[in-house]
Amino acid sequence: MLRRLRRVPLCACLIFLGLFVAPIAAPTAAHAQSTSDTPLQDVLQTVQAQVASPSRGTVPDVLSALLERDAPGTVEFLRAWQDRGIVERPEDGLFFVAHETGGMVELIDIDTGAVVEQVSTRDVNQIRPNAGVRREINAALVQFELMNPDPARRIAALESATRSPDPEQIPALELALDAETDARIAARMERLLDLLNARFTTDTATRVDAIDGLRGDISTEARRVLNQLLQTRSDFAQTLPDDANIARIRTPGQDMDLHAAYRVLSDAGLFPPRPGRNAIRDALRANVVDGAVGGIPVHQLDTDEARRTAYRALQDAGTVPPLVTQADMEAAVAQYVFFDAYLEPDATVTDAASTALDSTRTRIGAFQALSLSLDALSLASIFFLAAIGLAITFGVMRVINMAHGEFIMMGAYTGYVVQTLIPDYTVSLVVALPLAFGVTFAAGVAMERLVIRHLYTRPLETLLATFGISIALQQLAKNIFGTQARPLTAPDWLAGSLALNDIVSISTLRVGIFFMALAFLLLLLFILNRTRLGLEVRAVTQNPGMAASMGINPDRINMLTFGLGSGIAGVAGVAIGMYAQVTSEMGANYIVQSFMTVVVGGVGSVFGTLAGAGLIGALQKGIEWFNPTNTLAAQTYMVLFIILFIQFRPKGIVALKGRAAGD
Amino acid sequence: MVSTNQPDTARPARRSLLHTNPSVLWFMGLLGLFTLGVSILSEGMGIGVLSTSMVKILGMTLCLCLIAICMDVVWGYCGILSLGHFAFFGLGGYAIGMWLMYARTEIVIRDSLAGATIPPTELEVTDAVTAQIFGVVGSSELPLIWSFAGSLPIQLAMVVLVPGLLALVFGWLAFRSRVTGVYLSILTQAMTLALSLYLFQNDTGLRGNNGLSGLQNIPGALHVPQSVLSVWFFWASAFALGAGYLLFAWVVSGKFGSVIKAIRDNETRVRFLGYNVEGYKLFVFTLTAVVSGIAGALYYPQAGIINPAEIAPIASIYLAVWVAIGGRGRLYGAVIGAATVSLMSSWLTGGGAPNINFGSYRFLWTDWWLVVLGLGFVAVTLFFPKGIGGLFDYLVRKKP
Repeated sequence: MLRRLRRVPLCACLIFLGLFVAPIAAPTAAHAQSTSDTPLQDVLQTVQAQVASPSRGTVPDVLSALLERDAPGTVEFLRAWQDRGIVERPEDGLFFVAHETGGMVELIDIDTGAVVEQVSTRDVNQIRPNAGVRREINAALVQFELMNPDPARRIAALESATRSPDPEQIPALELALDAETDARIAARMERLLDLLNARFTTDTATRVDAIDGLRGDISTEARRVLNQLLQTRSDFAQTLPDDANIARIRTPGQDMDLHAAYRVLSDAGLFPPRPGRNAIRDALRANVVDGAVGGIPVHQLDTDEARRTAYRALQDAGTVPPLVTQADMEAAVAQYVFFDAYLEPDATVTDAASTALDSTRTRIGAFQALSLSLDALSLASIFFLAAIGLAITFGVMRVINMAHGEFIMMGAYTGYVVQTLIPDYTVSLVVALPLAFGVTFAAGVAMERLVIRHLYTRPLETLLATFGISIALQQLAKNIFGTQARPLTAPDWLAGSLALNDIVSISTLRVGIFFMALAFLLLLLFILNRTRLGLEVRAVTQNPGMAASMGINPDRINMLTFGLGSGIAGVAGVAIGMYAQVTSEMGANYIVQSFMTVVVGGVGSVFGTLAGAGLIGALQKGIEWFNPTNTLAAQTYMVLFIILFIQFRPKGIVALKGRAAGD
Repeated sequence: MVSTNQPDTARPARRSLLHTNPSVLWFMGLLGLFTLGVSILSEGMGIGVLSTSMVKILGMTLCLCLIAICMDVVWGYCGILSLGHFAFFGLGGYAIGMWLMYARTEIVIRDSLAGATIPPTELEVTDAVTAQIFGVVGSSELPLIWSFAGSLPIQLAMVVLVPGLLALVFGWLAFRSRVTGVYLSILTQAMTLALSLYLFQNDTGLRGNNGLSGLQNIPGALHVPQSVLSVWFFWASAFALGAGYLLFAWVVSGKFGSVIKAIRDNETRVRFLGYNVEGYKLFVFTLTAVVSGIAGALYYPQAGIINPAEIAPIASIYLAVWVAIGGRGRLYGAVIGAATVSLMSSWLTGGGAPNINFGSYRFLWTDWWLVVLGLGFVAVTLFFPKGIGGLFDYLVRKKP
């Protein structure tokens, strides 16, 4: 229908407007014609009284006068008028824009913008339009904006109108839609018009048309409008009313609680209320006579059965309201029919709305699944970044590095320190990434030389020694940086988010982390498979003794591997620090997850870690989807799943086979 | 072993437990003296040199020594580095804590309702207790796991059964699929993490991160002052530690002990010799879990509060630290390690130790203790794998 309307010639439209919405007819003309030369002040003086003391009834006169002549500065004037920024000079009745400066008012000429004079606030009348008038002015303003030649202003006006929908916007929008030349803006206008029509129009056919136009629209506004149309109220009656738009009929005892149904009736005063346990007790307490109620001694009234017997005695005596039994309730409820009725009386509208809503459901589901997959992917890349360093050291050296989390923390603090020195976030990030690698590489090499080298024959003890280092490093960080979280701010180009629609959106930072994880994956694959170092690392992994006899120095390889793994942890720390907060305990939060990623994925394989991270990320998001409010539960179930998973694949997803497996 | 012509060498003369483990007598003697000393010096029973809170700290330390013994048996003797024994400890604490909290709240509620005109029904009492306990997590229904919270015998059974069953199921799953070494450590850590995350939730029926509190008030002994109660619990802890020491000294000596030590040293070889390695490991794992649960049930009434943070994986790692510092593979080593490190921790982080001035920098023990502990731990692992207990070897070797 709207498409058709757009093809109607402009003049016909103008006539239509002149008849129905006279005040807003002119901007359409303004779009086509050049602006007139009449000064605004002169125009205003033609409707002096209406401007000076505006009321809802007089505003259209002013608007039509303004629009008719279309003097320059009209929009600015309207905005100032609405904001109580216009004053009237009592001597000659002229209007000025007021600029208050410390008890004095600068009167600014409406047309030229020049300061005319400075007077006391008491010497001029401030014009104060009331709320109703301001709304009218606002509607007119929206319309002016919708007609603005600048597309950006039109889009902004559309967005503000979408935020505060109002039936008075409908005519303005229809007009604007006709004049609109940009197809994308026109589509948005049509959609907004559908939203408004669906909600506010009285004409059923128009509404149903508008609702049909919202089919498949997955935006939150559209769904909110449709859901609003489908709001119901619960009610009851002796027979089903003909005029009500029934959504569903409820059967007490099946899809409605019998007690609840009876309470509805008793609340309406149709039946006596059913005394609950507390009511029975209170009634008994009020009727104690000589230490007994209804012939039963008080001390025996410590069971529900005894209390009910006593209550019956009182009921027989007529002192208390009757005890309502199950049968009573059933009988009472059977006399009535309980139903949910739509607030919207028109069945065609509600039918159309529910069809439209149903049609969006599949798309919404698909997009939610997409959004969830993106979340899972992003989480997986974070896990991958956190775990890959660990996987390298664990895989190559069979050494569990409990201080791995602290290397992540060290990298994050490096980023923080760099940021305090270099104020530009982009530059500091570029500096921080290699620096974090360097710092943690050095720390890793130092740790390998000083501690781990001596413990290669005792793998369980490396676990303990590195744990000792981990608590020492954590406390050191606390001593140096304090316990409160330090900010590591992402540069602006990473701070936004990419939104496909209202359901699917992902922050740029997460996209950045994903690409970073990807880059590290490729880099590691390259190093391990295409370089001399990688060849030697693989040789040492498979058989250290044989590698040594072929002229490879396993000590050197171990040192470099450990440094590499730690360095990657440092870089991951910068990324994680931007995503979460930098605290001395941040590493500890990732260490168990990282271990599980490595163990689930399979030790000693980059692809294994990738698979592990993917599985754990997907699993965590998947479980969260079932119970979105409870991330703790998701983590619990995930850990349980991993424990079970290890049962069936003790060597992880990608298990090394043959001699490479080592054992 | 099956048939031999030389019975004398094949079956050495059976020697008594005390004879093979001279340390047991020493330990029992020292523990007895210590208990006696603390009782005499205590505020509640003796001359009042030791404050009630000090007696509680000592009693709690004895419980920590008991779980350290468990850790030593499972790790030092059997080679399973379990990072989950504090979970069993916490479960024992939760099991007894449920009764302590429920029974005490019930007494309070009954007292407050006693003045009412009409005596309360059982349902009203239960509802009031539930509201009192679970109001803090916004729940008004008594969770299913609290069904028997009012009964002391059942909750006491839970102290043993819950950790025992968890250890049995988990151990069966893990050992059956031959998860060993660091994998097993990580798996036990994952179990601990899962449990603590589970307990952190408000809707799992154990009051989320509020935990259980007011456990120092013992129903049935509400009139007894804390100073006396603390000594009672100290005695109970000392008794449990003594009994546990004796039990494990017996377990690790003799043939059973030899087998589990052999499993530690070479699991595959023991399996090839025809032993049911999984069965032995499972037995040790479950037994130590049960004793850990008992230690926890004695610890938390003295601590007064239990919350899921106590179960966090880090606690179990500290346990391993204690045992390593004290010396693995000897029961008294675990006791020494747990007592030394936990007492030093609470002394140094509690601000009891004098700070040292290095000219411009003031060395605060509260800030640096963990650094010192961490590095000290690395040093012990690197240079003294036998821990403090290893020092005794030098003493013993002097004798002919």
